[in-house]
Amino acid sequence: MLRVGVLLGLVLAGCASPGQVSLVEVREFADTSAKLGGYAELSRRYRDTYQRELPYLSPQAERVARDTDARRQAVFADFVAIQKTLVLYMQTLSLLAGDARYDLSGRVDELGHGIGAMTDSGLTQRHVAAYAGMTRLLTRVITSHYQNQHVDTMVRDGDADVQALIEAMIVLTRIYEKANENEQKTVLGSFNAEIPMANRNADRMLVMLAKVHLQNKTAEYKLIDRRYKLAQQGLTKVALGHQKMRENMDHLSSAETRSMLAGYVRDLHLIRNALSDD
Amino acid sequence: MSTPSDSKPSQASGETSPTLPLMTPRLRAAVAAPTQAAEAERAATATTVGMPDPSHSPAMPAPDVANAARVNALSTMEHVVELADSVVHIADQLHERILEEIACYQDRTMPDSQKAVIHTLMDDELLLRQRAQALYAEATTYVIHGLDQPQRHLMALTAAAAEQIRHIGVIAETTGLVGEILSLVGGIATGRLSQVEAALESIKLHHTALTALKSAPQTKT
Repeated sequence: MLRVGVLLGLVLAGCASPGQVSLVEVREFADTSAKLGGYAELSRRYRDTYQRELPYLSPQAERVARDTDARRQAVFADFVAIQKTLVLYMQTLSLLAGDARYDLSGRVDELGHGIGAMTDSGLTQRHVAAYAGMTRLLTRVITSHYQNQHVDTMVRDGDADVQALIEAMIVLTRIYEKANENEQKTVLGSFNAEIPMANRNADRMLVMLAKVHLQNKTAEYKLIDRRYKLAQQGLTKVALGHQKMRENMDHLSSAETRSMLAGYVRDLHLIRNALSDD
Repeated sequence: MSTPSDSKPSQASGETSPTLPLMTPRLRAAVAAPTQAAEAERAATATTVGMPDPSHSPAMPAPDVANAARVNALSTMEHVVELADSVVHIADQLHERILEEIACYQDRTMPDSQKAVIHTLMDDELLLRQRAQALYAEATTYVIHGLDQPQRHLMALTAAAAEQIRHIGVIAETTGLVGEILSLVGGIATGRLSQVEAALESIKLHHTALTALKSAPQTKT
């Protein structure tokens, strides 16, 4: 009897504790992190560098470029794998922190009916309703405890690796950016030199076409330049957000932590929108 | 739009005037880069082809070793990127020089012989840029180096979490437990002690099951 009392006390104490753990912000953060664009697209662009450079290369440069191309193709799968791992992690974290999966209200109602059937035991309808309500509350406390525990484990154990993968993605994006800048100079540079040299009358049409092409190419590179910065900013936000989440795991439900996480979510949305605007 | 190249013209104009580098870019690049290039090359063959470092024994992939290898790879990567940047810089200077040369002929038509020289220089520039591209590609392989460990660990964590999500049954069990407690309370309230005993028994069972399941995630990670 004593043991029952202790157990009951434990459960009721859990029920009485005011801090309902809120995982809404965790879920939203994980969702927006999983959907952050940029990296995959820029990886593909990097992989296809050779195709874009090809028309502008001398035979000798082309030979070097072909070797480099083979090297890019060979590691592309690894670039993608890094991101896939991270996305899968975030999606799972979101599920774990999600409400939908743990929605047990249906079951609680069943339970209520079960108790209702026991009315012969002297319970009134009012009691039954009270019990069902209490059950719902207890279930919420217990499930949130479970969710919190698992989310906690995942975030704590995963943080170092998440940081390592994101760091790699940021570094790769920086290298893509440098390679793109060099490609841009290859493409635009040849026009900048050839156009002023072609000043014979017979070259006029050619020069005009070249100028149109140069204009288009300049615009194209200007647009893509922005995306490297945006992708890096987004990845940095994800890394920081995850780190902060780990640091504040013990008071996830505090207003401060929640608004901080919400801030990261907002920033990530802005970056995502900027990436899809172009 | 400020790119790193914006800062160059002043440097380039100050530096290029004494020499008209005709065929020199290749030489210059060779002079500027050889020791670093050789170093990078050696490092490259040591780490990319030969897989992890010599110290890495296949039997014990200790996380610290993997992490050290990764940090090491990242610093090598930085050197290779630096080298590539300096090759790009040389190409940029050469490009400036070419444009200057072309500008001298503003109104006059450039003689074909001079055009040929310019084109040779342009080919040199292209080649330098491709060498830089090759180095950037080289650098990316270092970034990936040593990421296996964190990737595998994250996948394991993710799989464990997915398993927990599938264990919704556990939570359902909890609801069962609560139900038992409630009927127990009901039993006490109405003085039906036979019911109390049955409920107690199943609470114990539930409780054991729950504790067992609760500790599962910890052993997994």
